[in-house]
Amino acid sequence: MVRALPPLLLLGVLAILPLSDLGPNSVKVLFLTFVAVATSVGWNILGGFAGQVSFGFAVFYGLGAYTTAVGINLGVSPYATYPLASAVAAVASLLVGLPTFRLRGPYFAIATIGVSEATRVIMTNLEFTGGASGYRITEHVPFRQIEHYYTGLALASLAVAVSIIVRRSRFGLGLRAIRDDQEAAADIGVNPYAYKLGAHAIAAALTGAAGGVYARYAAFIDPEGVFGFPRSVGILLMPVIGGVNTISGPVIGGGVYGVIEEELVARFPQLHLLLYGVLVMLIILFEPGGVIGLLQRARRLALRRKVASWQPS
Amino acid sequence: MATLLSVEDLTKYFSGLVALDRVSFEIREGEIVGLIGPNGAGKTTLFSIIAGSQAPTSGKISFEGRDFTRVKPFRAVHEGIARTHQIPKPFLSMTVHENVEVGLRFGRDRRARNLENEALEILELVGIPSLARMPAAALSVGDLKRLELARTLAARPRLLLCDEVCAGLTESEMQSILGLLRRIQALGTTVIYVEHNLRAIVSTCHHVIVLNFGKKLAEGPPEKMQNDPAVIEAYIGKKT
Amino acid sequence: MTVVDFLNLLIAALLLAGTYAAMAVGMTVIYGVMKIVNLAHAGFLMMGAYFVYELHERAGINPLVAVVLAFPVFYFVGMIVHWALGRGVPVSDTPTLASLLLMFGLWLVLQNVGYLVWGTDDRAILTPMTFATIRFGEITIPKIGLVVFASAVVSLAALEFVLHKTWFGRSIRALIQNRYSCRIVGIPVERTARLTFGLGIAFAGAAGGLLALLYPFSPDFGRPFLLRSFVIIVLGGLESFSGVFVGSLILALVETFSILIVPSSYQPAISFSLLVIALIVLPGGVAGFVARRRRLA
Repeated sequence: MVRALPPLLLLGVLAILPLSDLGPNSVKVLFLTFVAVATSVGWNILGGFAGQVSFGFAVFYGLGAYTTAVGINLGVSPYATYPLASAVAAVASLLVGLPTFRLRGPYFAIATIGVSEATRVIMTNLEFTGGASGYRITEHVPFRQIEHYYTGLALASLAVAVSIIVRRSRFGLGLRAIRDDQEAAADIGVNPYAYKLGAHAIAAALTGAAGGVYARYAAFIDPEGVFGFPRSVGILLMPVIGGVNTISGPVIGGGVYGVIEEELVARFPQLHLLLYGVLVMLIILFEPGGVIGLLQRARRLALRRKVASWQPS
Repeated sequence: MATLLSVEDLTKYFSGLVALDRVSFEIREGEIVGLIGPNGAGKTTLFSIIAGSQAPTSGKISFEGRDFTRVKPFRAVHEGIARTHQIPKPFLSMTVHENVEVGLRFGRDRRARNLENEALEILELVGIPSLARMPAAALSVGDLKRLELARTLAARPRLLLCDEVCAGLTESEMQSILGLLRRIQALGTTVIYVEHNLRAIVSTCHHVIVLNFGKKLAEGPPEKMQNDPAVIEAYIGKKT
Repeated sequence: MTVVDFLNLLIAALLLAGTYAAMAVGMTVIYGVMKIVNLAHAGFLMMGAYFVYELHERAGINPLVAVVLAFPVFYFVGMIVHWALGRGVPVSDTPTLASLLLMFGLWLVLQNVGYLVWGTDDRAILTPMTFATIRFGEITIPKIGLVVFASAVVSLAALEFVLHKTWFGRSIRALIQNRYSCRIVGIPVERTARLTFGLGIAFAGAAGGLLALLYPFSPDFGRPFLLRSFVIIVLGGLESFSGVFVGSLILALVETFSILIVPSSYQPAISFSLLVIALIVLPGGVAGFVARRRRLA
């Protein structure tokens, strides 16, 4: 229970933050961070917990975004489109996963790039949704930033909750086994194919919802932005930086990413990707556990020093 | 005793090499069966096929009367066949206890129950209860073999396939493992195990199957196998 | 469609196949020996393009000469990269997540250094040869295409020679087949891995230079070619070189002749779709498929 205190505290703080004197720009940054965290946590369920690295999660983000966008324009309540966006993404994940999860590690990763890019090209040519010039959402209600803020916060919290539930469940144990040694897992009764599909669907659903939430906020989406490879890159960078295969890693990564994105993108567009590249390389070379790994290492070091300096009385 | 497993004309080709050549035998419930043969005779391949991680080129397998020729490994476990690996494959990110837990939760009996106690019971059976909280990555080779066995037992198999569980162990370690196998059999599990040490075979098995170059060379009680000239020739060479 | 049109397309496809093969070889070499999926391949293709471009623009060096120069330069660069990243690029039996992400990080770095140095505009290498064509009756062959094809064939032939007739080449082939046995017979695994990595990067750089003669380029240059390399390697099998030829041919033929059926804006989706289909139908690539048939016979 004690361990739940800091995150709950954070949640509380974030919940009451808008009531203070926060400027609209800060609210925007936080909102975008919430959306980023949702995708980061979602991706990690497949990429971190199950060890299946996908380079093509933009597919689900984009599908979610367009589902919500089209839905709202057709008169559907936005909040009804979000579950729909999740469902569309989850179904898509099955279509992607059914053929590709039969493949070994890197082949799967490569296949996901292929799927994502193909979808982007198709969406760029689809007249119905505006093609390359993008798609505009027209809502007949006034734009209320606070509403989006809380929707984002709710989504991110949901994602983290799902992540915790999966991790503690039998399903999560099976995913860990698959990540450690898929063959041994199968030899002991885990159904790797079904479990990977399951993790993929959960991850896609969260990512799709995030896409939908974002779409409503932005009121304008285009294939390059939501389906593009840079989007997939961004989604997977967050958990890698924060610490894959943990609960808080993707959240931290999302936070770092969200803040950096807003600060750097406008001023130094190429610098932030360069920074990420260097960060990823440093992480892989020196601390594959990401920020969380660093923190754990620091804690172990501090503990060792404490033990070493302990004097019997 | 009822026939638990029946293998008919099992054949496996690998890139032009014949790994198994029309092997046939039956395993009766409650026995400890030894599977012996020189290296490369096809023993591990046979295990892989029975447990489902490989498909045979031709032939038939029946388990408890049902067709078991091409099952997926996880299905085989759910139905009651589980195997250990020649080189242990522990889940390295987990503790010893968590490894066993995987076997408990995904094996033949997947109901929710008191896992903590059951895991400890199994660890006691194999002799490593004190290692429960250790990360699997920190274990010695001998302990890893025990963990492998513990995890497989946790899946509650009716038929346990043990692949060279004694390899690399000292005499006393081997005796304790053999005692363990006898205890497992007494608890109701049928065991097939691969072994090179003929003394171990004689002291534990009711029945022995001898493989060589993928063919079944001989089959019968251990004493008879010890004196069978073909078996001796396969292991030691022709008497000149 | 007339015979002439068909022949024109066929020749275009063949020329393309040669270039694609040169492009994909770099990745195949590295994967085969070290089981590393080199996502940074795209970055080095791009660097090769700019290398040739800069030598041409600033020093007036003939682009083809620059391509030849690129080979040793990038060989050296490759070895340095391997040395620097040593911990993340172990010689392994199976591809690791870590190496995948590490190479990805490197690609991001290369790409964005490229953006910082050269900006986002497209560049092109234009020479008197660029638009020249040769005519055989009614058949037109772009001169530059022919030159690039010839260079690709020559370099691949040289590679085949090295692989089969030199000690270094035999070590590479041995490593691809069985790493443990290599240690036993005394092949210096780590050093061979480093030399092989260098070889792979050298091919990437040189291929990038060749491609720069055919297409305009920007720092994002590598990406479509990275994907094409994947398609080729998958079609041909990640573990064999003859497979690269087969894969390149199939991809080039499909891309070239698909113009007849599919509108051009959907073109990029062709190679991606082919990739996914190929991965599903032939996990071992076409070469693996062929080898399997031969074994079972």
